[in-house]
Amino acid sequence: MIKVENLHKTFGKDVKALNGLSFTANDGEITGILGPNGAGKTTCLRTLYGLLKADSGVATIDGISAVDNPIAARAQLGIFPDKFGLYERLTAYEQIDYFASIHGLSGSHKKQAIEEVLADLEMEDLAHRKTQGFSQGQRMKVTLAQALVHKPKNFVLDEPTRGLDVMSTRILRDYLARFKAQGHCILFSSHVMQEVAALCDRVVIVANGKLAAQGTPEELCQLAGESQLEEAFVKLIGSDEGVAA
Amino acid sequence: MSLGFSQLKALVIKEFKEAFRDKRALMTAFSMSLLAPVMIMVMSKTMIKEMVEKPTVYAEFVGVEYAPKLMEDFRDDNILPLSEAEGDSHAIWEKRGIKITIPETYAEDMVDGNIINIVLNADYSDKPSLAPIRRVKDVIRDHARAIGYKRLIMRGVDVRILRPLNLVEQDRAQPSSNAMMISMMLGLYLLMGAFMSGLATAIDSSAGERERNVLEMLLCQPISTLKVVLAKLTCTSAISMLSIVLMLTVTSISVGFVDLTKIGATFSIDAFTFTVLLVLLLPICIFAGALQLFFAFQAKSFKEAQSTVTMLIMLPAFVPIALIFLDNRPLWLDWIPVAGQSIIMEDLFKGLPIDWAALAVTSVVTIAMSAALVMGLAKKLKSEKVVMALS
Repeated sequence: MIKVENLHKTFGKDVKALNGLSFTANDGEITGILGPNGAGKTTCLRTLYGLLKADSGVATIDGISAVDNPIAARAQLGIFPDKFGLYERLTAYEQIDYFASIHGLSGSHKKQAIEEVLADLEMEDLAHRKTQGFSQGQRMKVTLAQALVHKPKNFVLDEPTRGLDVMSTRILRDYLARFKAQGHCILFSSHVMQEVAALCDRVVIVANGKLAAQGTPEELCQLAGESQLEEAFVKLIGSDEGVAA
Repeated sequence: MSLGFSQLKALVIKEFKEAFRDKRALMTAFSMSLLAPVMIMVMSKTMIKEMVEKPTVYAEFVGVEYAPKLMEDFRDDNILPLSEAEGDSHAIWEKRGIKITIPETYAEDMVDGNIINIVLNADYSDKPSLAPIRRVKDVIRDHARAIGYKRLIMRGVDVRILRPLNLVEQDRAQPSSNAMMISMMLGLYLLMGAFMSGLATAIDSSAGERERNVLEMLLCQPISTLKVVLAKLTCTSAISMLSIVLMLTVTSISVGFVDLTKIGATFSIDAFTFTVLLVLLLPICIFAGALQLFFAFQAKSFKEAQSTVTMLIMLPAFVPIALIFLDNRPLWLDWIPVAGQSIIMEDLFKGLPIDWAALAVTSVVTIAMSAALVMGLAKKLKSEKVVMALS
């Protein structure tokens, strides 16, 4: 379970990135974070990873504070970051192995975990190729595999479908649905409304660094009196700004 | 195996895999080691040639006809009249303008026993003229002395009367100190090698990873930044060290092909020298790696890292040269990185006994400074500034 309470974060003197943001992502649910560019999504997620320190407020992962004990909190997380690069001189297998070792897996247990994740993502044929020259979809798979190889209880994805084709998006979606069924907590930020509507159990809308609305996609539509999530989103954040971007 | 150690092991293995698959960085690292002996051989061959041979000197002579015997001596020493020079060398020596004037009255004065003024006119501040001027002076002095001795002997005087004192010089320097220039070059080269070889790897694993967007992912993992820095440092310094071993091996083989005995010098890298040099340079490799990582991690881009870190290479080149000009070295210089090692290396090449205490102190200081850099960098990597620079 990921819990964010009253997070405040100011950059420089007057750039308020987070202004009292609170929400909860429950186990066994996919929670989507929606928000225009610059709403504070990435800042919020980076606070969860323990990379940024909030000025005030609490961010906990399974009850462990990401501020006070970032290393223990990160151990409970699988992270698909905003910008995912690959070690291009390593093979996909070596890369997944590397992250598995960092998460404390070793020996036959590690080997088995890697084999499983490779099979789950249908990437056995990619495994022993160097990742240089991989397509966007293949890169996504490697990043996903390295984030999930240790089977984290909580999983955070920052705009994972950027630049993916339909096939890769489907693989990702199926995989997330399976994780959810196993009772994992998934937090998911995105700009693609259809995807959020199709995938998420609950949606958290963030604007100007605070919570604008939350609920199931249907509830949000009702709240705004619109039939489409996109229209509801624009209405709820109170402007058209950022949507086109 | 504890989690902490297995994490570090995974980090180190990954760094090595990446470094050894980066052909460009490896080439930079090892090309320097392979070029070292070539440079040293070329330099020492030129040096030997200069010291052993007497290149022709052309001078403008006035009144050659008055002193044929003196002219013979000049000719024996390969000092010839400018008129005999051809082509380029004529232009060069004409510009240098070394002019020797023998007076018309030479023969008369010689017979009468008067002092004869031979005028040597030249630019004494012109460096290339210095050796020729010295040779001209030597020829004239020797010629005059020979005549003087003959005059005394003819008068039945023992020439020893002219030498009431005799200076017996005892040079305590070991034979190998004559090869000082060569060993100084080698020392400088080794220090440069320690600094340069890990450079490409250091930049690639820090600023390079940031630019390839893999640093953020790594910083989000449940590992301390100290381990990240240590793994990168291990790899960078291992590559420098490997490059130094290669450089020493190839150099010790290749100096065998240069006949240094011609200039009365012996120079060889025996097992002892080899080991001491390695012990001496290991902390330097670590220090260089730490310094490079420290600056490369703070650069905003690969390019910026390259230009900042390249400046660091000036350090090993600058310190030993500065040391030459310091007549009274302060004691603390023996302890600080680069200077301390450079001083011990100088003693080692001179064949002087090694100051083990100084070696230990300078090694400890160097490693302590590296540790401070590592801790500082690990702390910096936790700061928000670094994270903000990620995007």
